[in-house]
Amino acid sequence: MIVADKKPIEEIIDYVKDYQSILVLGCNECVTVCEVGGKKEVGLLASALRMHFLQQGGEVNIGERTLERQCDHEYLEEIRDNIDHYEAVVSIACGVGVQFTAEKYQTKPVYPGVNTLFMGANEARGVWSERCQGCGQCILAISGGICPVSRCAKRILNGPCGGSTAGKCEISKDIPCGWQLIIDRLKALGRMDDYEKINPIKNWSTERAGGPRKVIREDLKL
Amino acid sequence: MAEVTSIAGEDGNFEIQIIQKPRYIDMEKCTACGLCAEKCPKKVKDPYNEGIGLRKAAYVKYPQAVPLKYVIDKENCIYFVKGKCRACEKFCPNKAINFLDQPKNLTLKVGSVVLATGSRPYDPSGLEDLYQYRSNPNVLTSLEFERLLSASGPTQGHLKRLSDGKEPKKIAWFQCIGSRDTDHCGNGYCSSVCCMYAIKDAMMAKEHAKGELDCAIFNMDIRTFGKDYEKYYLRARDKAGVRFIKARVHSFDEIAGERDLHIRYADENGQTQEEFFDLVILSVGLQVPESSRDLARKLGVELDGYGFVKTPTFAPIETSRPGVYACGVLQGPKDIPGSVTEASAAACLAGGKLALARNTCTRILDLPEEIDVSSEEPRIGVYVCNCGINIAGVVDVAAAEEFARSLPNVVFARQNLFSCSQDSLDSMKESIREHRLNRIVVAACTPKTHEGMFMDTIQGCGLNKYLLEMANIRNQDSWVHSDNPREATDKARELIRMAVSRAGTLNQLQEKVITVNQRAVVIGGGVAGMNAALGLADQGYEVVLVEKEKQLGGMADRLTFTIEGDDVQAYLKGLVERVTTHPLIQVLTQALVVGFTGFQGNFTTELLVGPGPYQRKINHGVTLIATGASEYQPREYLYGQNEKVMTQVDLARHLKEKGAQDFNQVAMIQCVGSRNEENPNCSRICCQNAIKNALKIKNLNPEAEVFIFYRDIRTYGLLETYYKEAREKGVVFFRFDPERPPQVEQVGEDLVVNFRDPILDRNMQVKVDLLALSAGMVANDTEELASIVKLARTAEGYFMEAHVKLRPVDMATEGIFICGSAHSPKLMNETIAQAQAAASRATTFLSRKELTLSAVTAQVNADLCAACLICVRSCPYGVPKINTDGFSVIDEALCHGCGICAAECPAKAIELNWYEDDQLLCKIDTLLEGAL
Amino acid sequence: MRLGYPTSIKIIRVPCTGKVDALHIMRSFEKGADGVYLVGCREGDCHFERGNFRAKARVEQIRKILDAVGIGGHRLQMYNLSSSDGPMFARFAEEMHARILEAGPNPIRGAVIKQKKVQTDQNQIAGAAL
Repeated sequence: MIVADKKPIEEIIDYVKDYQSILVLGCNECVTVCEVGGKKEVGLLASALRMHFLQQGGEVNIGERTLERQCDHEYLEEIRDNIDHYEAVVSIACGVGVQFTAEKYQTKPVYPGVNTLFMGANEARGVWSERCQGCGQCILAISGGICPVSRCAKRILNGPCGGSTAGKCEISKDIPCGWQLIIDRLKALGRMDDYEKINPIKNWSTERAGGPRKVIREDLKL
Repeated sequence: MAEVTSIAGEDGNFEIQIIQKPRYIDMEKCTACGLCAEKCPKKVKDPYNEGIGLRKAAYVKYPQAVPLKYVIDKENCIYFVKGKCRACEKFCPNKAINFLDQPKNLTLKVGSVVLATGSRPYDPSGLEDLYQYRSNPNVLTSLEFERLLSASGPTQGHLKRLSDGKEPKKIAWFQCIGSRDTDHCGNGYCSSVCCMYAIKDAMMAKEHAKGELDCAIFNMDIRTFGKDYEKYYLRARDKAGVRFIKARVHSFDEIAGERDLHIRYADENGQTQEEFFDLVILSVGLQVPESSRDLARKLGVELDGYGFVKTPTFAPIETSRPGVYACGVLQGPKDIPGSVTEASAAACLAGGKLALARNTCTRILDLPEEIDVSSEEPRIGVYVCNCGINIAGVVDVAAAEEFARSLPNVVFARQNLFSCSQDSLDSMKESIREHRLNRIVVAACTPKTHEGMFMDTIQGCGLNKYLLEMANIRNQDSWVHSDNPREATDKARELIRMAVSRAGTLNQLQEKVITVNQRAVVIGGGVAGMNAALGLADQGYEVVLVEKEKQLGGMADRLTFTIEGDDVQAYLKGLVERVTTHPLIQVLTQALVVGFTGFQGNFTTELLVGPGPYQRKINHGVTLIATGASEYQPREYLYGQNEKVMTQVDLARHLKEKGAQDFNQVAMIQCVGSRNEENPNCSRICCQNAIKNALKIKNLNPEAEVFIFYRDIRTYGLLETYYKEAREKGVVFFRFDPERPPQVEQVGEDLVVNFRDPILDRNMQVKVDLLALSAGMVANDTEELASIVKLARTAEGYFMEAHVKLRPVDMATEGIFICGSAHSPKLMNETIAQAQAAASRATTFLSRKELTLSAVTAQVNADLCAACLICVRSCPYGVPKINTDGFSVIDEALCHGCGICAAECPAKAIELNWYEDDQLLCKIDTLLEGAL
Repeated sequence: MRLGYPTSIKIIRVPCTGKVDALHIMRSFEKGADGVYLVGCREGDCHFERGNFRAKARVEQIRKILDAVGIGGHRLQMYNLSSSDGPMFARFAEEMHARILEAGPNPIRGAVIKQKKVQTDQNQIAGAAL
C-alpha cells in the first residue's frame, strides 16, 4: 500500500487562499486505508477550510468528493461535469492521484493535500513502515524475503556495514539493521549458505535512477 | 413496605402471609414528581444518609429507589402527629395522597422461598469508652464516611468535617470494629468486606481531597482475598501512598477545642507511637439484624451462634428447611460479587422447583400489525409534558407547545399534565390514530426511564418503536434552570426543535428475532461444571458436559476434607453419580474444544472426543466455562528435593492416609506462589487450608507443634472461628515480611527453618519433621480455549467476567457464563454457589424460545467500504469481519451498538442505526441555526 | 439532584462517546458553536470497554485542527465522570461555560456578524453526553 501522511493545514490553506471555490478530492484506496485521504478526511479538511474562509469573511465554496481511485481515467471522469464549478482542486490522494488529476484537467490547478511517503505495511492501527522502494529488480529471493534496498539505509547488497551495532542501524537506535534482519531470517530458514554467496552488482537502471519508468504490457493492451 | 408474618406448607407448596404497611400515597397515581416532598413542611434526619442530612416526611429513600414512588413517614408526618397540615394532599397534582390508607393482608401461594434480608452495619455506640463514636463528631462509621464521599450524599461529595467544616488532612481507619472481636461485641467472625472498603474509601478520599491527604489504615491483617483485590491493595499502598499500620488501637484521646484525635499505638516492634488525626473512621462490620433472626425463627430456619442462616458446605444456598433458600450476608459475611452470585444461585434452585410451572402465568401482549410509514412524508406529533409542576413550574409549557406546532412537519402538538399517566398514554394513542402521526416527539423527562414506556405506547398504534424521539425538558432544563424561567423556556424550545428535526429523519427499524437452541454446553467437569450442569438439567434443559480428562472430578479429586470437616470424596462420588445418571446430561470425557462459532442462543461447538478420537459438532444456546484451576507446583523451599516438604493438598492426603503420629514439629509457609511478582494475587484458599491441616494435626496428635509462617491471615467470614480455634489449640503463628521470608535448609538429615520473629525482633530456628507449603492456585491452561471461544482473561489467566460486581458470572459475550476457579480461586462452597449462579444466568436465555435483539446495530455500506480493517480493529467485541467479497460485514446478532466503528470508519461506510450521521448532524444544524 | 448549570448547554445523546464522529465536532464549530464538550464514562469504566479513550484521541486530533485554523482547540473538551455524579456534571458545565466566556464567541461568528452587521447574543454550546 502507498503510505501518506497529513500535510499541515496551514500549508494547504496557503496554497488555496486566493480561490473562491475549491474541490477537496479524496481517494477510496490506499489513502483511505492509511487514514489521510478517504471520505472522512475529505470532510475534515473541507470543514477546516470552510472555517478558515468564514473567518476571513469570504464566501468560499468548498466541494467534497471521494473517488474510488484517482489513478484511473474512468474514475476521474466522474468529476468532469462538476470540475468547472471549482477554481482549484486539493487532492488528498497520493502523489499519483494529484498528478493524474492535474493531467486530466489541464487548466485546473491541483494541489497536494498529503505528503506521500512510501510503499509500506500497516503494522497496527496508526503504524506504517516502509517495505518496498520499487527498484524494478526484485532480489527478495536471495535475501530471505527481507529487502536490503528498502530496509538498509545504505541499500548495500552483501552484508551489513560497520555501522550495524547490536542489531540496530547507525542512523538510529530505533531502526533495526536491515542486514541483521536478513541474517536472522536466513538462520531461521536454515539457509545461511545463501549469505555466503556474493550478490552481483545490481542493475539500478530499472530503479528511479534510470529516469521515469513505464510498463507496457502488450498482452493486455488490446 | 411488606413484611412476612408466617409461612405454612412445604417444599414446592408454601402459603405465605404478608402484611403490607400503608404508604399513604397511591402507587398507581404517584408519578414521583416530588411535589409532596417539596411542599412537606416537616424535615427529619435522613436515615439513608446515616442521619447526616435531612429529608422530608414525604420522601423517597433515594433517587434510584425501586419502585420510584413516594411514601409518607407516619411517625413524622405533621398531619398524623398533630392532626393538621395535609399540604401534600393539597399540592399533589394527581390526587395520589390517601391518608386513609390501611395495612393490607396478602396471602401468596409459592413453590420456593428465597431469604435475602441482608445485614446491618455494626453499631459502635456500645464501644463509646474506647472510640467516642457518640460524643465526638469527628469519629464516623465507615458508612457515614461513604455518604460524605458520595456525590449524592449530604455534602455532595465534598470532603469536610461535620464538626467545623474543616477539610481533613489526616484520616485514620480502624479496622475490625464489630468484627474479630469476642471480647467487646461477641462477633468472632471476620466481616470480609471492611479491608477492601477501607482501602477504597481511602483512595476515594485522596481523590476528593484538594491538597495532600494522609490516610492510615490500622489493621491486624489486610484481607484483600478477592479477585484482583490484592492488586488494588498494592496500588493503594505503593502508588497512592495509603499507609497500612499493623496495630489494633485500643483507645484514643480527644484534643479539647479542635476535637482532633490523639492516637497512641504500639508498632510491630512494640515501640509506642503517637499521631494526631482530623478524622477517625470506624470500619464497622456486618451483622444480621434481630428482625431477620426473628423472621428466620418464624420460618423454622436454623441459625448459627452469630445469627447467620446455617447452610451446608455442599449445598451452600440451602437452609435447614427444604424449599427455603438463603443468599447474601444473611448466611455469612460477603462482598457484592459474592452476594450477587448467591442471589443467582438461589434463583437457580428456586427455579428448579418451579420448572414445571414455567410460563403458566404468562400473559401475551397483543400488538397491532406494524404500519409501513417509510414512503410517507413525516407527520410529527409533539407531546409536551408539564410533569405536574416539575416542568410547568419553570418552563412556559403552553409557549413550548405553541412553538412545537409551528415547526416543519409537525401536524399535531399537545401538552399533558403527566405524559406517563395511563390516561395521557391512552389519549396519545387516540391522537396518533386520529391524525395519522408517523413520528412522535415526547418533550418530557429522560429517555433512560421513560423511553420504553412511550415506545410501547406507539407500538400499540402500529408504529415502529424507533419512530420516537424524546426531548428532555425536565432533567436537562426545568430542573437545572429553575432560577431562570425565561431562558429555560427558550431552551425548551431549542430542545423541542432539535428533537423534531431528528424525528423527521427517523426510519423504522426491524429488530432481529433469533430462536434459542434449548441446549447448554458446559466446558469442564469438575465440581463447578457438574453443579452447573445439574442446575440446568434440574430446570429441564439438556446439557452436554465436556471434560478433557478421562473422568469427572477435576481438582476436587485430589481433596480430602473441608475445614468444616465434610468428606469431599463422598460428596464427589454422589455428585458424579447424579450427573452421570441424569437423563438430561450427556457427559463427554476426553473431549477437547477445537472450534466455536455463533452467538447467543445459537452456538456451535466442535469437539474432538477420545478415545478415537472422533469429531463432534454440538449446537447449543448457551455456554458455561468451568475449566478450573490447579495447585501451584512450588519451586521454592526445597520442594521436590526433600521429601519432608509437601504442599497442603499433599499433606491433607497424608493426614487422611497415614495420620500425624510421625510429626512432632511441623512448619507451614503461606503465600507460596501467591502475592509475589509472578502472581501478585492472593489465592484466597491457602490460609484456611493451612489452619484446616494444622487443626487436623492437633486433633490427631495433640503433642505435635505446628508453626505457621504468614504475611496476613486471611480467614475471612466465618472461617475466622477456625483461626481462633487454632490459636487456642496452640498452633503458633509468626508473621514475616515478604522482604525477609523464612529460609529453609537441609542440614544433614534435618530440615531447618530459619526465620525472624517480629515481636522479639531476632532470628530464630526450628527443626521440623514436615514443611507444608501453602501453594497458591494457578488457572488451568486455557490459552487455546480462550482464543477459540474468544474470551478475555486476566494477566494471570483467569477468565474475565463482564462486570466484577453487577455481572459476576456473565462473560462479555452474551450467552457465555463463567463459574468456579476458572474465574478466580475459591472454596468448594463458593464454587458450588457460583456454578448454580451461572446455571441460573444461562436459564434466563434458555427459558425464552426466542430472543429479540436491539435494532441499534451498525450497518456497512458495501459500496463505500475500503476493507481497511479499521472497524475490525476498533470494535471492542471483534464483531466486524471482512468477507470473501472484500467488504466488512457486521453481524447484528453480535453487535453491541456502541457505534465506535461508525465513528472511526475512514470511508464513512458504516452507520449506526438510530444514530445515523444525518440523525445527529440535523440536531447540530438545528441547534446552531441562526448562530451565524 | 437538580443542580443548576448555564442554559447555554444543550446535550446531544449518543450511545457512547466513542460514537462521536470527528466530523460532527467539526460541523458544530463550522456552524458557529462556541464550544463543544464530550462527557463520557470514567476512564477504565467505559460500558463499551474503550470508547471513551477513542473519544479522547478524537478530541486531541480535532483540537489540533481547530488551533491550525484559528478557532482554538481549547473550545473543545473531553470530560469523564460516573453516571451518578451530578455535582461533577454541573461543575464541568460551569467550567466549560466559564472557559467559553473567557474565549469569547467563535471567531467565525465574529467575522460573519461583522459582515452581516447583525446582532446576536446567543452563546451556544453543544455537548454530547451519555
